[in-house]
Amino acid sequence: MKTSFILTAYLIYLPVAVLLTWYVARTLFNSGKIFMMDIFNGRQEIATSTNKLFEVGFYLMNLGFALLILKIGYEITSGQVMIEALSRKVGGYSIYLGIMLFMNMSLFFRGKKVSRERQRLAQMMQQKNDQRGFAE
Amino acid sequence: MKELNTILYLIFSWIITVHAGNSFYKNGRIYLLNMLEGNASLTDTVNKLLLTGYYMINLGYVIIRLTFQEGIFTISDLLEDLSSKTGNIMIILAILHFFNLSVIYIYHRTIEHKKQIHI
Repeated sequence: MKTSFILTAYLIYLPVAVLLTWYVARTLFNSGKIFMMDIFNGRQEIATSTNKLFEVGFYLMNLGFALLILKIGYEITSGQVMIEALSRKVGGYSIYLGIMLFMNMSLFFRGKKVSRERQRLAQMMQQKNDQRGFAE
Repeated sequence: MKELNTILYLIFSWIITVHAGNSFYKNGRIYLLNMLEGNASLTDTVNKLLLTGYYMINLGYVIIRLTFQEGIFTISDLLEDLSSKTGNIMIILAILHFFNLSVIYIYHRTIEHKKQIHI
C-alpha cells in the first residue's frame, strides 16, 4: 500500500508532539520539585507526590489536546501543502504548550507566596503567645 | 479496519485509565493525608471512593464513545478516529483530576480558617 501525504503528516506530527510534551514536562517538573520543597517547608514526601500529581495531570491534558487537534480536514496534494499544514499544527501546539507552562509556573509562584504568608502568620502567633506568657 | 479500530481504542484507553488511576491513587494518598491533617482512616476511605468514581466515569465514557463509529477505510482514517477519541478521554481525565485537587485543597483551607478563628 502506498502511503499518502496525509498519513506521512500524521506520522511526523505524532512523535514531534509527544517529544515536545515530554521535553516541556521534564523541564517544568524538574524545577517544580524545588518549588514544591519550598511550598511544603522541605517535607520531601508530600512535595514529590504533589509534584507527581501535577505532572500526570499535565501529561494527560497536553497529550490529550495534541491528539484532539491531530485531524487535518482538507486534502493534501503535494509536499508543500503537507509542510504548511504540519507547521501550523506543530507551531500552534507549541504556543499552547508555552501558555500552559506559564500557567503552571504562576501556580507555583502563587503557592510559594501563600506558604510564605502562612509562615509569617505562624511566627506572629508565636510571638503573641510568648508575650502573653511574659505578662502573666 | 473497524475491528482493529475498536481493539486499539480499547487497549489504549485501558492503558491510560489504569496507569493514570494507579498514579493518582498512590501519590494522591500522601496529598490527601496532608490535606486531611493526618486522619489515616478517612484518607483511605476518601481515596478509595475517589478511585471508584474515577473508574466509573472513565469506563462509562469509554463505552459511550465506542458506539459512535463511522466508516473507516484507511489507516489515516483510523488514526484520526483513534486520536480524537483518546484525546477526548485524556482531557476529561485531566479536568476531573485538577477539579479533585482543587476541591480537596479548598476543603483543607476551610478547616484551617475555622481553626484560626477559634484561636
